Amino acid sequence: MSAPGVLPQVLPLLPPGWKKSRRASVQRLYSLVVAEGRQRAGVRRMHVLYADSLRIARDTDLDQVLAALETDLHRYIAEASPHLTFLHAGVVGWQGRAILLPGHSLSGKTTLIREMLRLGATYYSDEFAVVDNFGNVHPFSRPLGIREDSTFAQTKHTAEALGATSGIKPLPLSAVVICKYKAGARWKPAPLSHGEGALELMASGIAVRTQPEHTLRRIQKLVKGAVFFKGTRGEARQSAASILSTLSADSHGGTA
Amino acid sequence: MKERQKLKARADCLSREFGDEILVYDQQRNVGHCLNSTAAATWKLCDGKRSTSEVAEILTQQLAAPVDESVVLLAVEELSRARLLVELEKPARRTSRRNAIRAIGIAGAIALPLVTSLVAPTPARAASCLANGRPCASPAQCCSGKCGMGGHCNA
Repeated sequence: MSAPGVLPQVLPLLPPGWKKSRRASVQRLYSLVVAEGRQRAGVRRMHVLYADSLRIARDTDLDQVLAALETDLHRYIAEASPHLTFLHAGVVGWQGRAILLPGHSLSGKTTLIREMLRLGATYYSDEFAVVDNFGNVHPFSRPLGIREDSTFAQTKHTAEALGATSGIKPLPLSAVVICKYKAGARWKPAPLSHGEGALELMASGIAVRTQPEHTLRRIQKLVKGAVFFKGTRGEARQSAASILSTLSADSHGGTA
Repeated sequence: MKERQKLKARADCLSREFGDEILVYDQQRNVGHCLNSTAAATWKLCDGKRSTSEVAEILTQQLAAPVDESVVLLAVEELSRARLLVELEKPARRTSRRNAIRAIGIAGAIALPLVTSLVAPTPARAASCLANGRPCASPAQCCSGKCGMGGHCNA
């Protein structure tokens, strides 16, 4: 980093649970070149970010470059982690077990999670379900990125700022809920079999192309005893209430 | 006597069992497949030594229910479409779904063979997309699907 003064802005962008390392060698090296000095007319001073030798961002706005760092770093960890499998899914804790909400970007995961938090669920992640070798789901509780308008821009809110708590303990899986938002739709999900549900999870795997064996093995452990639902949902508030009440009615045991 | 074609499952795919279903991952094409119980049972019997009629006989014993050859033919068709069998020298005899349903009967003890497939995403496609104005390296990263010349997502 060319300007150590920027470090306090970088630290909050590191993945949840990061630790300092004494190792001299690294798997991936980020270089941030901060444009210093005053901006002058006719001269655009660019902040530049490299991952190894690849330039991944170049902008006059440092916040944009730091956002690119956060995105690339989290994705790299999700892709390269040897001991954990990362699935693109939101996660909340409910009655001592995890509910996974896999889905593509803009499918409304975060909106649904926010409503579930309002109803007493515990926050685990709005981006990645992190699965270990025993099939338990770990938190990846970075602030929720709530998209506000048609530019797809996100504003960050911590779970605590939304009146919820963040989970710490790894949880076994209770349910996988695959849904897509459609205005006015009523939440009437269809159950999926374990194989179909596992296929949906595989298609959310960040590293499925590079680590297919680990991904399949961990998904197999993850889905034991879980139920799967798929459907179209309408407004998040009603859907969240309906999902949680369905799962409360199901006999999965455990307490909050 | 006319020699019957033998069925062989591809050995270079990863597979995991989920109850009586199987999840198969094709590493060459980066596609995952879910084989329902009937397709899975058929796939497991495709060892390169058995014909469709022999597979039907074994399935009848395994499932304790009559399994007509038309059901196996339909499973072979599903598995071939998903490219989960070593290519047959001649295309397998075709059967219609209607024939298979008729063979199974309305209250059939076995399910119609079914293979559901999904493409595995690249890491860039699997993660959350970037808002307009954010620096990008490829269109796949942008919510709008457009990464402009200046290296920023645009509308």
